Amino acid sequence: MAMVKFLALNQKPSGIDLERAFKRLKRSVWVFHLNTGSCNGCDIEVLDVLTPYFDVERFGIKLVVSPRHADVALLTGPITIKAFPKVVRALQAIPRPRLVLAIGSCAVGGGIWFDSYSTIGGLHRVIDILKDMGIEIDRVAYVPGCPARPEAIIYGVAVLLDLLKPKVKYRRVKA
Amino acid sequence: MIRVKFVKIVGTSLKKGTVTIKYPYEKPLITSEFRGKIEVDPAKCTGCGACTRICPPKALYLVKEGDNLVIRYFIGRCIFCAMCADICPQKAISVSHEFELATDDIASLYEDIEHDLVKCACGKAFAPKKLVNEVIEKTKLPPHLLTLCPECRRVETVKRLSFRLLGVKW
Repeated sequence: MAMVKFLALNQKPSGIDLERAFKRLKRSVWVFHLNTGSCNGCDIEVLDVLTPYFDVERFGIKLVVSPRHADVALLTGPITIKAFPKVVRALQAIPRPRLVLAIGSCAVGGGIWFDSYSTIGGLHRVIDILKDMGIEIDRVAYVPGCPARPEAIIYGVAVLLDLLKPKVKYRRVKA
Repeated sequence: MIRVKFVKIVGTSLKKGTVTIKYPYEKPLITSEFRGKIEVDPAKCTGCGACTRICPPKALYLVKEGDNLVIRYFIGRCIFCAMCADICPQKAISVSHEFELATDDIASLYEDIEHDLVKCACGKAFAPKKLVNEVIEKTKLPPHLLTLCPECRRVETVKRLSFRLLGVKW
């Protein structure tokens, strides 16, 4: 509860022009790698994306060491309860517009730990809690995969920046 | 000394050429063994639920919606192990090479397969129609017993046994 109050006090007035900010963001994004209790599979794939083989710096994507310099958080792992306060602090440090790319099946839907006692069950459940704490996340993209392929991560960044339309759609068929 | 090292690198890089793949403009390296998103053939699926039992992260699960049974596939939790494709008795599940599944809406990561349920005489819906038909076809049992719900079937069995053994008719 004290944490919530602290965050509410720290909230800056939202007087940002989001549309203009998103237009600028299409050029190049700086990413911050946020591990929230992942098995390191997805982290190695993130590392793979940054190597000369996939070389995302040709798109202007650059890894930064501080969330205060970043536009996008590359979130891997199922967000364990132990890691949650740190995730809150890291996401709060990212300036608006705040973008999150959830990488891997753990970050998207909780993975094989979706109903475990020590996890909350993926980013889509955490977003509501973050909203209650006063942390707005402006755009999220989910990249499924265990671990997600490096190409899938590049595709996910394109979806996140609205350069591509996502391929998957909700489908309901009668057997 | 530094200058000498630099010259060496130029030589090797000229020999090696470019290693970077042009991913968005070039097809990624995908072998025939690559496991991507699964695809369920609704024509073949009988709704037996074997895939939901074997699925390690419960990405495939059963939901009962009134008189319908829904097999729900949540791609966001799938670990792409293809155990469902191995276990499926009807071979209805196939593994595709699709991996570009990124989306900004979590609801679009769901897929539903809807099954009609058989209704017992007591009004309880209990098993998918296609599964019951499949069992009738394979076991050659009388269909009037298989279209009863488990509780009604128990009562029916007791009635028949008592008639046969004791001659008591209820």
